[in-house]
Parts: sequence; C-alpha cells; structure tokens
Amino acid sequence: RAGTKSVPVRLRGPGPLAAAGLKLPHAARAAAAGMLFYSFFKSLVGKDVVVELKNDLSICGTLHSVDQYLNIKLTDISVTDPEKYPHMLSVKNCFIRGSVVRYVQLPADEVDTQLLQDAARKEALQQKQ
Amino acid sequence: MCVFRDGEACVSRGGGSEPEWGPRGASLAVGVSAPLTMFRYQSLEDCPLDEDEDAFQTLGEEDEDIDQFNDDTFGAGAIDDDWQEAHERLAELEDKPATARELEDGAVSDEMELLGHHEENLAERLSKLVIENELEDPAIMQAVQTQPPMQQPGGLNSSIWDGSAVLRRIRGPLLTQEMPSVSVLEYAMPQRPPQGQEDERDLSERALPRRSSSPVIGSPPVRAVPIGTPPKQATVPNFNQQILCPKPVHIRAPMQQRYPSPYGERMSPNQLCSVPNSSLLGHPFPPSVTPVFTHLQRAQLLGGAQAGRMSPSQFARVSGLVGSPLTSMNPKLLQGRVGQMMSPASGFRAFFGAPPPPAPPPSQQQHPPCPGSHLQNLRPHPQMFRPDTTHLHPQHRRLLHQRQQQNRNQHRSLNGSAGDRAGHRSSHQEQLRKDPYANLMLQREKDWVSKIQMMQLQSTDPYLDDFYYQNYFQKLEKVSAAEEMHGDGPKKERTKLITPQVAKLEHAYKPVQFEGSLGKLTVSSVNNPRKMIDAVVTSRSEDDETKEKQVRDKRRQTLVTIEKTYSLLLDVEDYERRYLLSLEGERPALMEERKQKICDMYDNLRGKAPGQERPSDDHFVQIMCIRKGKRMVARILPFLSTEQAADILMATARNLPFLIKKDAQDEVLLCLLRPFSLVLYHLPSGTVTSLLQQLANLPQSATAPAPANLHLAAVLQNKFGLSLLYLVLSRGEELQNSSAATELMQDNQWTELMSMATRELLRIPEAALAKPVSTPSNLLSLFSRYVDQQKLNVLETKLQLVQGIR
Repeated sequence: RAGTKSVPVRLRGPGPLAAAGLKLPHAARAAAAGMLFYSFFKSLVGKDVVVELKNDLSICGTLHSVDQYLNIKLTDISVTDPEKYPHMLSVKNCFIRGSVVRYVQLPADEVDTQLLQDAARKEALQQKQ
Repeated sequence: MCVFRDGEACVSRGGGSEPEWGPRGASLAVGVSAPLTMFRYQSLEDCPLDEDEDAFQTLGEEDEDIDQFNDDTFGAGAIDDDWQEAHERLAELEDKPATARELEDGAVSDEMELLGHHEENLAERLSKLVIENELEDPAIMQAVQTQPPMQQPGGLNSSIWDGSAVLRRIRGPLLTQEMPSVSVLEYAMPQRPPQGQEDERDLSERALPRRSSSPVIGSPPVRAVPIGTPPKQATVPNFNQQILCPKPVHIRAPMQQRYPSPYGERMSPNQLCSVPNSSLLGHPFPPSVTPVFTHLQRAQLLGGAQAGRMSPSQFARVSGLVGSPLTSMNPKLLQGRVGQMMSPASGFRAFFGAPPPPAPPPSQQQHPPCPGSHLQNLRPHPQMFRPDTTHLHPQHRRLLHQRQQQNRNQHRSLNGSAGDRAGHRSSHQEQLRKDPYANLMLQREKDWVSKIQMMQLQSTDPYLDDFYYQNYFQKLEKVSAAEEMHGDGPKKERTKLITPQVAKLEHAYKPVQFEGSLGKLTVSSVNNPRKMIDAVVTSRSEDDETKEKQVRDKRRQTLVTIEKTYSLLLDVEDYERRYLLSLEGERPALMEERKQKICDMYDNLRGKAPGQERPSDDHFVQIMCIRKGKRMVARILPFLSTEQAADILMATARNLPFLIKKDAQDEVLLCLLRPFSLVLYHLPSGTVTSLLQQLANLPQSATAPAPANLHLAAVLQNKFGLSLLYLVLSRGEELQNSSAATELMQDNQWTELMSMATRELLRIPEAALAKPVSTPSNLLSLFSRYVDQQKLNVLETKLQLVQGIR
C-alpha cells in the first residue's frame, strides 16, 4: 500500500514464495484485503447459480466451492443452450477460472443485501486505511 | 534398467537407444544441462565431508570466475561427463509407471529392493521436514494430505537418526543449494537405482540452472530452483549457506506458533485423523488413480503409520470403503483434504464423474443431519461429493447436508442398486487407469500449492475479513433460534462458529550486518525495500476542501454525509463485540468513544448547527429523501437517546407529506415504522400530543379548523402515514388507560386533535384510505371516547377496527 499523509512512499513487492519451504515473508501473507466477494460466495456454497462466462457460455449448476481468486467449481451442471454447445452434454462438473466469469446469477433470497452493503462499506474503509 | 515405451522391460543397465520422449519432448532440450550439474556432484560425491570444503575452496579459487559463469548459464562446470548415460537413466524413469504396475504383482525381490530404497529415501527426506514444525497451523495442515510425521518413524529410526553419515553423503557435494537439489543429487549417482516416479518430476527441477540470478549479498539464500517450482519435499533447515556470501549475521523474526485455523475448524487434523470414520477417510479419491504410487505409498504408509498419523482404524476403514486392492494401498490419498477450494479431494472424484462407492450401512445414510453435532461430518458419506465442511458455519453445514440428503434421495431412486454403481465405477477406474495425464503432480506438490493458498487465507481478524459470511450465518442462526423458541425449545444444539485468529506478527526485518564492518550496507531486497521515491503525500483537510470546492450539488453532499454517518453506524454496531473482547481497563474508553460517535451521528443527521437552535429540518429532510438515508435513520434510531429520537420523529412527522411524496418511488418509509414504534413506547404524553399535532399540522394556537386538513389527509392516504398515525393514537390510548390521572383527557389539545383526527377519518372516502400495516386493537376504545355511537359504527366499518372474520 502506498504511504499515507506525509509518510514517504515505500514500494513493497509481494515477496518471493520460498520455493524450498513455506516460510512466506510477512508481506506475502497480507492477502486479506479484497475478501468481500470470496466471503460472499462462500455463503452461497450449495446453492444453484448460473454462471455466464465471457465467451457467452452460460452454465447452470450448484456452487460446490470457491476460492480467493473466485474460481468456481460447479457440480451437476447444465448448459442453458445445449444445442449450441454440444460438447458440454456429458460434462457433469466443472472448474471455472475466476477471471473468465462475466456474471453470476444468484438466488435473490439467499442474499442479504443490507449485509452486503455493510460489508462493502467496511471493505472500502479498510482499503482507505 | 531401461524401459521402452511400449512397455517391454529389459533389465539391463545403460546403453540402449534413446527412449522416446513423446509429449515430454520439450523437456528434452532443457534436460541437456541437467546432467552436467549432476556430474559435478558426482565427482565430489566421493569425497568425504571433511574434505569437501577444502576441495571446493581450491576449486573455487582456481576457476571461480569461469565456473561461476558456467554455473549461471549451464549449471555445471565444464567437465566432460557422460551425460548421455545419466540422461537415459533419467528418461527411463518416465516409463516407471508402466513397469511399476506390472512389477507390483510380479517380481517381489525387485520390488522389495525398490521399496527398501524408497524407505530409506523417505526416511532421509522426512528428516529434513523439520522446518515443518513452524507451520503447524491446523488449517494449513488440514489442507495438506501429506502429513510429515513429527515423531520418528519406528522401524526407520536408525536410518534417519544415525543419519549423519547418510545426510552427509547427500549434503556433501552441495555447494550453494538447498534441499531441492538433494533430489538432483540422488539421480546423479549411477549406483543408486532409479527411484520411481517422483524422480520424473524432478526433471523440471534438474533442467534449471542452479542459480537463476546472482546472489545479492544480504538477501535470503538463493534457492536451487526458481521460485515457482514446487519442492521435492518440504522445507529444510538452514542447510547450507551460500558459499559466495560471507557469513552474515542473520536476524530473523521468530515465527510464532499459529495454531488456529481460519473459518472455524473445530477439530484439529490430528484429532480428525484418529477418529474412526473420520471425514478425512471418507473422501473417495479416484481409487485407480495411482497404481504408480503403490510402493512409494506403502513406504510412506509404513512411515506414517508408525508416526501415529494414521491409525489402524484408517486401514480398516479404507479397505471397508472400497473394494479395489489398489485403494487399500492408498489410504494416504484418502487421508486428509485438499482444502484449497474449501472442498476436499473427493471433489476431484466428482469431477471424474464417478458415482460414489458402495454405501456404508444404510442406517448411516438415513441418519438425519444431526443437529449441529460435529460428528455429523465424520460419518462416511457416500455421495457425489462431500465438501469439506468442518470449516463452515454449523448453520451452513446443516443447510448443505439437508440439501445433499434431498439430492441423494433423488439419485438413489435414479441410480438403482449399488451393484450398478459398482459396475459403473469400475469402468471409470478403467478409464482412469489409462489416463496418461494422471498424477502429473505428486501429492506433495499438490499439498504445497494448497498450503500456499491456505496461508494466504490466514487472517488476523476473521470477523473483518470474512465479514459477510460470519454475519450472514449468525443472522440465520438467530432467526432459527427465534423460531425454535416459539416451538418446543431448542432441539438443535446451538453450536457457534468459532473462528480462531492468527495473531498479528510484527516482523522487524533487520538487514544483514557483517561482523566487524563499519557502517551499514545499502542493500535492498524484497524484505527490506529501499526508499526509492521521496514523495510526500499531503491531503487537504475536509474543511479546506469544502471551502474550495463549494459543493454545488446538494444531493452529492447529502450522499457524502450519509456515507460518513454509515461508517459511524457500522462502528457503533460493532462496539458490543469489541466490548466483549476488550480488557477491563479499556472498556470505559470504548464506551466514551461509542457515545461520542452516537452524538456525531445525530449531528450529522440533523445538520451541524454549532450551539444554536436547529430551526431547519432541511438537512434531515434531504437525508430522508434518499433511500439509503431512510434505512440508515431506521438503524440509527435505536442508538439515540429518547430526546434525540423524539426529535427525529417530530421532524419526520412535520415533513411527512413531503417525504411521502418523495418516497413514492422507493417505498422505504415503512422500514421506519418499527423503530418509531419502539421510540413511541418511551415517549411521555406531552410528546405524544405534540407528535400528533405535528402529524395533523396544526399550529400551536389552534384556530378554527379548516374544512379539510390537507396535511392530515395526505398522511391518511399513505400507508406509512396512516400506520404512524395509528401508532400515535394507540400510544395515546395506552397512556390514557395507564395513568391514573387522565392527563391526556384533561389536555385540551389532545381532545382537539382527536376530534380533528376523527373528523378527517370520517371525511375521507374509504377508497382513498390507505391500508395500514397493522391496526392497533385499542383504537376502538379510543374513538369511543370522542365520537358518538353512530359515528363510531361508521368508523368501525371504515377502518375495520373490529377484528372480525377476515
């Protein structure tokens, strides 16, 4: 993070991951910022969602798991337009890299919007600090 | 021994044609340099340890520069070696899997020999896992299937611990490198038999030069392999220092033990391991996936079992679970979880599409989700997938299991008998066996990657980092608890999600200092970044900004105020938790802070009027025109004092028609009803009267009432308004009934207001009347005081005051 008021700016890299072991430098562990959506999706594990990818493929399935990069694993998937993607007919489960997701359609009653707003505010405050 | 790709095994050493590389052709080119490395080792390998240093130093002194560059580029000295031989030896390892499979049932002696060597290797490697101690974070270890045994493996004791000789042999030729290159060493020695599939993995390591960059003095020792490569084994203690770097005085912050795991793991992996029927065991990894591992696994098993990491019950469990003989050899895989994706290895099974293995006794299946009991997790679950749920909130887990039960019931009806499933599974096993891309990564490597991810997830304040998840399930719990209270009482065990935190560690990195040197070196490394830019950041204060900018957009300004107030609100809401966590001495200070913040919030709401009267509601009204402003007010109200809250109520009532008009789109005013009613409950009668007055918009001195009171009319036509009016009236009635001295009755104002209200209610056409949220029951008695019977009847029907059969 950049320095705050009148403190000289320090450039800090993430630090190399110790290849021979797991003694990660402290900086590498400070990855907790930006966990809002990870937390959010964790609460949706087990629910049915529709993931729309950037290549326009829409996959409907049960959210099996998510990680901090928002990679998604879906089980019991079905493609919304099977004719267009026949290669997906036999696929039961899939792993989707987080960066290719465009939208995730959620069940509305599983989301607490007020809580989400609060979480977003807290995150914004955290980022500011 | 060299093996040809078509599976023909010939037991001969050396010679032979080049093995085909096939898909690994790419590595061939890179592999050229590798043998050179090894042969350098090989030459020094013969020297006993004592002479090593000297030998190397002489060597170093002579050819230091050249060799250094050589090393940097090619990874070894310019020794003419028979790299081809070594190369072939390495290449044949790739085909080890094919032979291994055949061997495993066959030549016992050969296998046993391999096994023996494996054990020895394993023992040596295990000894280097010392540093794992510091990372005994249960969460991380949980994510990892390979558990480094902390105790000495029984039968292998001797080989490890009198292992100075053993280790020396390995360590000796090491020049600058740390652990990973040990494996490289091992391959280099021609007298050592090829070691199984793991070696194949190290091709990637071998291929790379020993030092990828010149050492920076003061930085941590350079690793053998580039940063991104997973290690052969886990870490190794300060194995060797960089020769080229003079002995630094390294001051390292001690890493404290971090035991808790993020996200609510309630049993340590140790416990989970030893509990029979533990969920750790029940995760069916594709059983046919690793015939390769068989002998190695066995070795690990033996080592592991002695370490007590795997209880005999696990073996029993395993063999009971899956019929395949292969799987019985691989409890290691069944053990532990890859927590990377917050779900276990069994998830992978699901992804092969294999249906679950034959179910354990149906009784266990039928067992309903045991309320909150963590044992629920521990019964083996033959499902499509069984997520790793110990870290989840108990509520979440419950929901998930319910869901899975439903699915299972569906599936069972669809899938038919267990026999079918078994058949299906075996066909999958067949397919998996032939999968050339299986086991590209060792379990250790997978663990390594998962560990990194898990470590990144360690948080110092899980409540903050994982805010949404924690709170969401807390709320769910509260709701379900509330529901249960109405019922028979708490049936379910009220388990809490305990989220341990990692202690915040302050690492003070001290840059390297040399003994006996003057001054400090200006070394810049990742841990000790140097100040590159002398930038001074000054931010203007808020006041200056507003003066300068002269915010024209009032709405924007209001939004900013709302956001600021929201931050205060979130803080205040958090105080209860902080209070509980804090020490005794800090509590008064916390209370003070809280009070202060509440005052700030109120000031924000009403507009800052330093010291003076607050004549204008304008600020407040502006806030109330915005949807989130209304919600915020509703949330703030409980925290305000009675006077402050009353003030807010008054302001709302005063401006109600305007607000109603503005709310037409949002329809959010209703959220205010509940806090308002709570406030009303505390209000004295005088306030209630004035409140009613505000609602009716009568000036203090009552003049002759106008034929139609527009203010009130508007109020009546709006759901919120009407509801609020009812609340006020109801409160008044309560007060009248309660207090012995009927002050309200004697209060002329009240009577006037009541008559006005009733008049208006009568006047207004029924169609225009809004439907209130709830009609208080005492309104009838209230009206009966002020109107005659006829009118009362009219009111009754109009307002549906009588709770008839609806």
